[in-house]
Amino acid sequence: MTDSAIATNPTPVVAAAAVSPKLTVRDLHFYYNGFHALKGIDMDIPEKQVTAIIGPSGCGKSTLLRIFNRIYAIYPKLEAKGSIELDGENILDPGYSMNRLRSKVGMVFQKPVPFPMTIFENVAYGIRHHEKLSKADMENRVEQALRSSALWDEVKDKLKQNALGLSGGQQQRLCIARAIALKPEVLLLDEPTSALDPIATGRIEQLVEELKSQFTIVIVTHNMQQAARVSDLTAFMYLGEMIEFDQTEKIFTKPSKKQTEDYITGRFG
Amino acid sequence: MNSPYLRRRITNALAMLLSTLATLVGLAFLAWILWETLRRGISALDLKLFTKITAYGEDGGLANAMVGSLIINFIGIAIATPIGVLAGTWLAEYANRTKLGESIRFLNDILLSAPSIVMGLFVYTIIVLPSTALTHGSTSFSGFAGGVALALIALPVIVRTTDEMLRLVPSTLREAALSLGVPQWKLTLQILIRAARSGIITGVLLALARISGETAPLLFTAFGNNYMAINPIEKMSSLPQIIYQYANDPGDAMHALAWAGAFVITMFVLLLSLGSRLILSRTKVSHD
Amino acid sequence: MPVVDIAPSILEQRSRRDARHERLFRWLLKGCALIVLAALLGAAGATLWGGRDAFATFGWHFLVSSEWDPGNDVYGALVPVYGTIVTSLIALLIAVPISFGIALYLSEVAPAWLRTPVASAIELLAGIPSIIYGMWGLFIFAPFFADHIKPWLTSNLGNKPDDGKLSWVAQHVPFVGKLFGSDYPFGASILVAGIVLAIMVIPFISSVMREVFQTVPTRLKESAYALGSSTWEVSWDIVLPYTRSAVIGGIFLGLGRALGETMAVTFVLGNAMHLSASLLDPGTSIASTIANQFSEASGLQKSALMALAFLLFVVTFIVLLIARLMLRRLASKEGR
Repeated sequence: MTDSAIATNPTPVVAAAAVSPKLTVRDLHFYYNGFHALKGIDMDIPEKQVTAIIGPSGCGKSTLLRIFNRIYAIYPKLEAKGSIELDGENILDPGYSMNRLRSKVGMVFQKPVPFPMTIFENVAYGIRHHEKLSKADMENRVEQALRSSALWDEVKDKLKQNALGLSGGQQQRLCIARAIALKPEVLLLDEPTSALDPIATGRIEQLVEELKSQFTIVIVTHNMQQAARVSDLTAFMYLGEMIEFDQTEKIFTKPSKKQTEDYITGRFG
Repeated sequence: MNSPYLRRRITNALAMLLSTLATLVGLAFLAWILWETLRRGISALDLKLFTKITAYGEDGGLANAMVGSLIINFIGIAIATPIGVLAGTWLAEYANRTKLGESIRFLNDILLSAPSIVMGLFVYTIIVLPSTALTHGSTSFSGFAGGVALALIALPVIVRTTDEMLRLVPSTLREAALSLGVPQWKLTLQILIRAARSGIITGVLLALARISGETAPLLFTAFGNNYMAINPIEKMSSLPQIIYQYANDPGDAMHALAWAGAFVITMFVLLLSLGSRLILSRTKVSHD
Repeated sequence: MPVVDIAPSILEQRSRRDARHERLFRWLLKGCALIVLAALLGAAGATLWGGRDAFATFGWHFLVSSEWDPGNDVYGALVPVYGTIVTSLIALLIAVPISFGIALYLSEVAPAWLRTPVASAIELLAGIPSIIYGMWGLFIFAPFFADHIKPWLTSNLGNKPDDGKLSWVAQHVPFVGKLFGSDYPFGASILVAGIVLAIMVIPFISSVMREVFQTVPTRLKESAYALGSSTWEVSWDIVLPYTRSAVIGGIFLGLGRALGETMAVTFVLGNAMHLSASLLDPGTSIASTIANQFSEASGLQKSALMALAFLLFVVTFIVLLIARLMLRRLASKEGR
């Protein structure tokens, strides 16, 4: 832990979660090109709840999320130190198989990124890599995923059409379907509604509500109202540090840190 | 006194006028060249061009040259496309910002403008000469050798467009696929190349346009043949080679045939570049 | 939905298989990329190998001798080298100002609606196969030149005028008279080849110039306009200095093209293997010497032609290398 982290965090900010933690983050540091982007993050993310990470842009919230499935590793000169345990196993351990990690931790990105193929193939593509399914099983699986992402009724008649023809909101739900089709345990959402209009945003938020009975969800958002609406726990980050992590209700009504209060009330950020 | 001001205005007006004139000069030469090619080419058009072979000389057509051109171009594109697409993919996806990658990207740009006649001599050395040794002395020019020479000219065009088009694919697409656990080679072959498909096809069409007018590399590889040749291990005629041969002939009838060939090639090349432009503009629209 | 973990051994197997495929794929791709390298090295190696006899027989003399005598089997590269360099220089002399004018017109002068169609038309010029330029040069431009331009040049600038009266220029300005004097009645000549080459490289140079002119930040131009500069002053004082290295790169790119061009010049050079000071006399270039002689050559002559090809390749490689380095300099400035 760095000096500054000790100075501002006299006690580790680990939320007292009622449920057992799914992800346990301990003393996580992250560097890119020598820049110290995350400074000693500690965090217990509970199972089958929605955890929101908020903070001003550049605070490291997306960086943190991108370590949870090690997607950062596709770029050179990035380095994570510390530990993140998923069900007790450290996913930062080089021995932890990428295939295994990514079948357990799904991710949805800021902008909807459908693959340049049909709607059906978009969902089936990821499954094919991990499992050999019969045609009927695959159709079943795709339908299930599209139903879970509340898209089935809108696309069931055009599964063979190119996914690029869908609206932005539909595309994003397709990306969610694609991620949950692999039956992950954790679902990471990186500002999933920042490119969408309010109506599409509403549908996604509703979907998050529904999905939390099946998945552990971590959502990064720059929209505080969204965090308040959808999450059970909220983490506030600032300049690469975890300032406060607690029940969402507490963060938004009586935060214990001055910085959190300033950010919530709109005094900076 | 506004004389410096006036002088500046005159200088400016003169510069604007000269730049307009320069453009007109460029356009005038374009119009002149195209006009003469169309005029002389169309007046020499005749059904026998497509039915008779060059063995009949003045009374013949260009059928064997056209077939030869198609075969040689096909061989060139068929060799250059897979190699070029894979090499371009390596530059964009695997070696971007590595030393070797940067050097090859740089050298590829040089190969793009390298003298095509030297490429012809290169292929003469590595294919025609060794096969001459195999056939015990009779010089083994062949359509295949011509195709390889053209492939070397098409290759850098395809490498470059593939490289550029793949680098335009947003990195979020890569992240999305990798976050599903898909390995990079599958991501590359099944998603990225598909996403950049229309751009890559444009590159192939541009390469085809580029090679279909090439003459110099064919002179010492495919050589020429006054009879119809379909088998690529035989000597083969091609439109540019016949044009070169007929234009240097003193007879007016031969010149007319050369112009007809020039017309056919020019139309082919212009249609190709028009077509590739259309594909490119259409993809720009669909990406937004 | 019950969460099922896939058995670790299957996962491990799949990971190993993925890694193996990934390695194979990487090697395949890298191999293809190395073919680019192999093509360049191979072209240099093959011509050097083919020309080894000529280099060994004539040594450095090969470069400076103007003798090309298949009868006595004596070969020197000077005439084709001279023709290649002079035609290319003439081409640049004509093409650079015109290309600059076109780029200026397309980026600053023309109304917006006209820019794309005119730019496309100019680019069309680059798409026309070089053999078409050659035909146009041989059948249309060279006769036109012989009838209308050459007589004026010889009688007003040359030292061998048709009417026998030496022009003022030929009497008073050194060299010019020799450059434009000619007894030869046809159009095909070094000058005509240079002009045809110029038309060929104009689209290359102008499109590079136009592209780099467009990279100049608008605020830079706007702040100059705000000071009351005219369009010309902004172009000459702001745009050109800002893009200088890339403009030079574009010019070298055109030079590289011109040096290596075969068909367009072969038709209009006249194929004469002797040195003449006059630009109106026929000559030859490296590429056209090879195109004209290689099929019938054997032995030492073939080797000499290969040696010429090697020289051409090395020179164009260096010119294009400089071009790309200059162009990259602007790209890296932009990147920062």
